[in-house]
Amino acid sequence: MKSFNIHRAYSIARKEVMHILRDPFTLSLALGLPVMLVTFFGYAIDFEVKDINLAVSDRDNGPSSRRLKEIFAASGYFRLVETGQAGPVEMLDSNRASAALFIEPDFSKKIKGGSRVMAQFVLDGSDNSKAAAVMGYLPGIRRAAQIRMAATPPRERLSAETRFLYNPELNSRWFTVPGLAAIIIGLLAILLTALTVAREWENGSMELLLSTPVRPFEIIAGKLAPYGILVLAGVSFVYLVSRLVFGVPFAGSHLLFLAACLLFITAALSQGLLISVLTRQQQVAMQFSMISGLLPSMLLSGFIFPVESMPAFFQYLTMLLPPRWFMAAARGITLKGADLGELAVPFLALGLLSAGMLALAIKKFKTDLE
Amino acid sequence: MSGACILEVKGLSIKFGDFTAVDNVSFCVDRGEIFGFLGANGAGKTTTIRMLCGLLAPTSGSALVGGLGFEDGGLGIKKIVGYMSQKFTLYNDLTVGENLDFAAGLRKLEPAYAKKRRKELFELIAFNKPLSSMVSSLPGGIKQELALAAAMLHDPEIIFLDEPTSGVAPASRARFWALIRRITGLGKTVIVTTHYMDEAEQCGRIALMRAGRLIALGSPEELKKSAFSGPMAELDFKGTEAASFISGLEKARGLLELSPHGMRWHAAFKDKAAMDAALAALPASASAALIRPSLEDVFIRLVEGAER
Repeated sequence: MKSFNIHRAYSIARKEVMHILRDPFTLSLALGLPVMLVTFFGYAIDFEVKDINLAVSDRDNGPSSRRLKEIFAASGYFRLVETGQAGPVEMLDSNRASAALFIEPDFSKKIKGGSRVMAQFVLDGSDNSKAAAVMGYLPGIRRAAQIRMAATPPRERLSAETRFLYNPELNSRWFTVPGLAAIIIGLLAILLTALTVAREWENGSMELLLSTPVRPFEIIAGKLAPYGILVLAGVSFVYLVSRLVFGVPFAGSHLLFLAACLLFITAALSQGLLISVLTRQQQVAMQFSMISGLLPSMLLSGFIFPVESMPAFFQYLTMLLPPRWFMAAARGITLKGADLGELAVPFLALGLLSAGMLALAIKKFKTDLE
Repeated sequence: MSGACILEVKGLSIKFGDFTAVDNVSFCVDRGEIFGFLGANGAGKTTTIRMLCGLLAPTSGSALVGGLGFEDGGLGIKKIVGYMSQKFTLYNDLTVGENLDFAAGLRKLEPAYAKKRRKELFELIAFNKPLSSMVSSLPGGIKQELALAAAMLHDPEIIFLDEPTSGVAPASRARFWALIRRITGLGKTVIVTTHYMDEAEQCGRIALMRAGRLIALGSPEELKKSAFSGPMAELDFKGTEAASFISGLEKARGLLELSPHGMRWHAAFKDKAAMDAALAALPASASAALIRPSLEDVFIRLVEGAER
């Protein structure tokens, strides 16, 4: 990059800012996407399952059966619904309940007598993530029932207690900052870069830029810098809303988180540049960016589906994707407060992939200019 | 052609893979000249200009643009020439001022100098709208003139215009060519491509290109003389049957060129005797008038001659 000139790069960046300010699409996408994502993930998408409608068929109606129902209701996860004329199964069929509880006629009497009692719990399995979550609540309820209802509480020889570290309540909002940062960077940086550079190709202005003494690297730096800042602003917005509105904790170093973001942004901007060089048309560049930007960040980064539970092929594939490493680093920093030493692998991988992507994009960009 | 050329091209060729886009082209342009490239689409005009602007490196041959070659990858050339591409003029979503500031920034002009140049150029092109006008709100002709001003902000000695008037209204085209003449009047050299014959007539010299080759070079008058040594007649059949006479005329001895021009025909002959002999049998209803060949006749003759 001999005689890189900051003034020329600045001129290009300043012009780019004008474009952004005057283009309603870019501006609304850059501002709207973070707001939309935070609202979605903060309020609507909750991986936790609460307020499950539980239809109860209480054929006992004695003190113990009432206590069992109380225990379910008091857990906070279930809402008891009256079955009325319809049986619990009909309630499940018609989606008025997601679970049903059957209590046998002599429930209270048997408990009093100290004999073994049964209560049947039926769960709607058509939504398997919900069913899995509810299954997780059952052991706790069973234990509570045993302690509070049995005449003589059972002596437990061995008890396994599960406690979740880093996110004790398994609050899914706590995943917001790393996950949304990945999506914002992965989608916005790639899409906006691909569009802006493709536009210069499409309308022929790239040629005019090149007819001046401006260097290819100055064009790249000038065009990409404003989008890097724009994307960083989006991530900051998500961070602030998550912390101030949703009270999401942040355990680690902000500087380290910024470093991870910058590395991932570099990779994303390079990917956008590469797409624009290959397509040279805004329309095609947009489709490419959406697919290659959004899908890895959403599905293959570990944001929604854990990488460990993917088939072996996909696990190896994710190793080539910057979002996966960014997600690992960002989660480690935000939730565990991990330091650089502990995150050496994700940072190294992210750094290498970013550098590789940038080198590839610059090389392709330069050779394409003849 | 006298003295030192400001632009000297020798055996310039460029190949894209197997395709030779520009094939062994040589010419010389004088300071202050309006030098035109005439040719069909794909004849190699734009590629030649792009090489001379330092945008493309030639495969072989040499060119000295204002005394500079391609040794530094065209960087030196880019500093001393101005270029206006046929596809793009100015950013529509920026104002006039922002576009010119951007052009100045790319060339690292001092703000005070850029402002002075901007004022001079606005006078030259008689632009009197505010700097804050959005480019998208300007008429096509004005936009073209402003693009030329942006290309001249750094006061280049040589200005390359690639089909500057394509898609511009005829009145604006005339205005633009008046502007080109004012610029060469200031001692600048303008190299322009066009496929309008009336524009080519206004060039000092024309380089006629076909399939990457330079097939003729000279002033419009010289080209006409060299293409048609003998007389040319315009035949007007006034709506009567002409086909039989024309098919006979095609076989006449000493006929150089025969081409339809609307309802009329242009026939060029080797000399006056050949013309008189060939036109002796002209039907009484038709008339023949001696005309001066147009550049279009030259173009047809030279391009078709090259194709034969």
